[in-house]
Amino acid sequence: MSINIYGGVLLKKTLALFLVLLLVASLTACGGSGNSNSAADSGGGKVNIVIVNGKGEIASQWEQAAKDFMAANPDITVEAVSGAVGETVNLLDKLTASGKTVTIAMMSPDSIVNKYKDFGVDLSNEKWNADTVYGVKDINGKIAGFPFSIEGFGLVYNKSVVEKATGGTFDPYSINTRDKLKALLDKIQASGVKYPVAYQTENWSVANHYSTQFLNQAEDPNTIVEQLKAGTFDLASNAVWNGYYDTLDLLVSKAYNKYGERPLGKYYDDAHLSVGKGESAILFNGNWAFDSLKAVSGASFGFIPVPVDNNPDNPLNNKIAAGPTNILVINKSATAAQQEAAKKFLDWLVYDQKGQDFLVNQAQVISAFKNNPNKVTNPLGVAIADAVQAGKTLPFSSNYVKVEDWGNILAPDIQKYIAQKESRADLAKAIETYYKNQK
Amino acid sequence: MITEKSRLKSLGNQLFFTGPTIIFFALAVLIPFGYGLYLTLTDMTSPVNPIKFSGFGNYKTAFTDTAFWQSMWLTVEFVIATVIIINVLGFVLAFLVTSGVKMQNFFRTALFTPNLIGGLILGYIWQFIFVQTLPSIGDKLGIEWLRLGWLGDEHMAFWAIVIVTIWQSAGYMMIIFVAGLVNVPKDVMEAATIDGANAWQRLRNVILPLMVPSFVVTIFLTLKNAFMVYDVNYSLTAGGPYGSTTMVSMHVVQKAFTENIYGVGQAEAIVLFVIVAVVTGLQVYFSKRMEVAA
Amino acid sequence: MEARRRAATVLTYLLLIVSFAVFVFPFFLMVVNSFKNNGEILESPFSLPTSLNFGHFAEVIDKMNFFVSFRNTVVITSLSVLFIGVFAAMTAYYMVRRPTRFNNGLFALMVASMIIPFQSIMIPLIYIYGAKLHWIDAAPIPLLIILYIGFGSALSIFMYHGFVKSIPYELEEASLLDGCTRTQTFFKIVLPMLAPTSVTIAILNVLWIWNDYLLPSLVLTKDQDFTMPIKMKVFNGTYMNNWELLIPALLLTILPILIAYLFGQRYIIRGVSQGAIK
Repeated sequence: MSINIYGGVLLKKTLALFLVLLLVASLTACGGSGNSNSAADSGGGKVNIVIVNGKGEIASQWEQAAKDFMAANPDITVEAVSGAVGETVNLLDKLTASGKTVTIAMMSPDSIVNKYKDFGVDLSNEKWNADTVYGVKDINGKIAGFPFSIEGFGLVYNKSVVEKATGGTFDPYSINTRDKLKALLDKIQASGVKYPVAYQTENWSVANHYSTQFLNQAEDPNTIVEQLKAGTFDLASNAVWNGYYDTLDLLVSKAYNKYGERPLGKYYDDAHLSVGKGESAILFNGNWAFDSLKAVSGASFGFIPVPVDNNPDNPLNNKIAAGPTNILVINKSATAAQQEAAKKFLDWLVYDQKGQDFLVNQAQVISAFKNNPNKVTNPLGVAIADAVQAGKTLPFSSNYVKVEDWGNILAPDIQKYIAQKESRADLAKAIETYYKNQK
Repeated sequence: MITEKSRLKSLGNQLFFTGPTIIFFALAVLIPFGYGLYLTLTDMTSPVNPIKFSGFGNYKTAFTDTAFWQSMWLTVEFVIATVIIINVLGFVLAFLVTSGVKMQNFFRTALFTPNLIGGLILGYIWQFIFVQTLPSIGDKLGIEWLRLGWLGDEHMAFWAIVIVTIWQSAGYMMIIFVAGLVNVPKDVMEAATIDGANAWQRLRNVILPLMVPSFVVTIFLTLKNAFMVYDVNYSLTAGGPYGSTTMVSMHVVQKAFTENIYGVGQAEAIVLFVIVAVVTGLQVYFSKRMEVAA
Repeated sequence: MEARRRAATVLTYLLLIVSFAVFVFPFFLMVVNSFKNNGEILESPFSLPTSLNFGHFAEVIDKMNFFVSFRNTVVITSLSVLFIGVFAAMTAYYMVRRPTRFNNGLFALMVASMIIPFQSIMIPLIYIYGAKLHWIDAAPIPLLIILYIGFGSALSIFMYHGFVKSIPYELEEASLLDGCTRTQTFFKIVLPMLAPTSVTIAILNVLWIWNDYLLPSLVLTKDQDFTMPIKMKVFNGTYMNNWELLIPALLLTILPILIAYLFGQRYIIRGVSQGAIK
């Protein structure tokens, strides 16, 4: 009995202590608010910067890059943070809301003209601009985005399957009209592949990537976006816009598409499995598709441009969409010293041998910089890099739209169109309505 | 019931017994929720943007957002389907694993395993089943409607979410029912048996009335979980095909964090809260009245 | 009579075995696939592995910083579950025995709070404890435990509430008449009688906190603080999931609670036999 009473008292005391500690903690924490900031300069001439990476798959490489950079720059301390993919609140918002000043943030290129239009500092006068054409401009036309990675998309094809069907080496750029694509699909079918296409219909793929391609009919895709916002661009009568959906109709048709009977579904893994193993030949995706393809296949892959019409001289039929997909932006609200340190880090990525090695060999990212001598091992990455070298690229069209809106608001309409539950006229109307509602 | 000798002592007990809970509850829930309510009256677009006061505009937008009400209606259908099936199944399972058969503990443990796997991963695993396995079974057996992946058809995708949710929750509810069933006094059961009550009568007249506290909990939990379903929805269908399986939580998250209309998303979350509060409040109020006070 | 009973037993077994197969199947899938590489997983997810290759487990232990993240998860889960259990039992007990207007109101408020969509408080949460109070920087793990106690108490109180009612009041009365204080009575008489419920509640809380992703992902920002579910996200790619690492990681994450659960089961049985004496 006495033990039990004792136990009760002891517990009471522990609780009381706990509560007091809690109160003390809250009071001291309150006192500390104001400008206490773990990322601020911490005296001694040392500068602390926080660099944020949004590509979860290169987290360990990012960490290592920070270490290598610190070794070369002993007066700078780098805190490397990596986010996981698919977090509800993005990493930058989370860290900012929690009171941290992120010095370098990784974001998608559309962000600096939309959500984070007031975030970045002007990088127009940085030396590296001489070695790339992919710097991303903010709303004032100043370069604010350092191109971290180049990626591209098109019709991914399995080389051995296609070459077996065509007999001999195959030049993907020879497919420069829709009819030639159809002829190729027929040939593949004749060679014994029942469904030449495995068309996966993820939101980001059908909306952000496929359905923004029509913007590339203008030299600067922004001009079309502006017309859409002003309500002066008529999609339904636009030949290029219609042309891309004619091609889509071909790709998802029951005759060629593995999933033709029920074109929607979670087919991402299955599509890559089919093309990887050669049970199908073609899918629409970007260079990252190789990560899935290589799991099942030792075969090689390449890109065919997405044809929009039957004019072989149309540049849209002869080029592949490629451009920066992740950019690094330096935070305006970081201190001057932090901004300088951050700029040093960007230079390190471009000019230091270790930085170049990190970018291409370690992180397997296609560099936007001419002076980087390294090559990625991914054959689809090589195809993009070659297209960049040969000048056979179109802008990465989804960089000109609000990625989130297209994936959420417009993707359902596009998927309905693919499932033949919505007419093309209705789809045109849906896109026009969306833009009318944009301020 | 009990009267403390002095008011001081009574206050001391009140503080000791409920004080810690109140403090933690306020820190984690009340204060952030209050602040969240305030945010619905601002036009905050993302957590880093400066806040401007905007009155009730967000609520007006929320009430006229047809996609929000569509997702709400779909969620109601989902609630009806899952609450009924999960509770019936959970109770039957609990009954079976307390019936005294050999290895009942083994079964108890096994039937609970779905809960060991987090909701997101569950969704990915079941994707395999709905996209790959079932179609291949359909192919082999020649069952026409099974031949294509479930997740490309809006009705089948909806039922896919229902099935995974049932599969995930039935074991959880079973455990709560088990805790209730083992509390049914043995002597009462024996007395009923001696009095000649058959199994059905024992269930109806003895067990079920004593199980009311368990049902209060399980129905409440299934109601609330179903109204707020997110993980499985996100990882299994992501709202597809063409947005047809977007439940209300997912709609709210998309509004607030993907489309960056934070204030509207927050306001819609509050509307959801009020609706669920009314429904579950009624449920708890009526079923608490059925509880047998010991 | 005998034949009918036997038929009932057979039916019971049949139902149990069928549900067993259905409920354990995905678990089986995970174990089987944890030994395969990406290609094999995608190609034939249902076949048995060709060899017992523990290579992926080794890689996962390394990449997840397993021992650190395991320790963090254990600390956070055990402390949270312990405090939730004690505080919730106390509060529920007091609410049942002293149904004042304040206590009833508090109970209603807590029940109502369970239906607050978590998404609607996560931004305020990081804003208050991050930008305003800096607890996220200063003491992330204690903060996380505090939040878990706050979030978890409502459901636990709700569950205790029903069961406290079923405890006969006469026992407490006797204890109070013996000169025990209310506190002593609670810890000596009431809490032991709540044991079966406590174990159930603890199990449910362990599962929730152990597997939780969203809340720690908001509060924890430094690698040395991360829990296992957070580290597991390393294996999610932008476009595809790295199954060959994700599945072993998942298995390693749930293995400890699987073991703990098996032990918990035993306690439930013991608790039951104790409860039967009353």
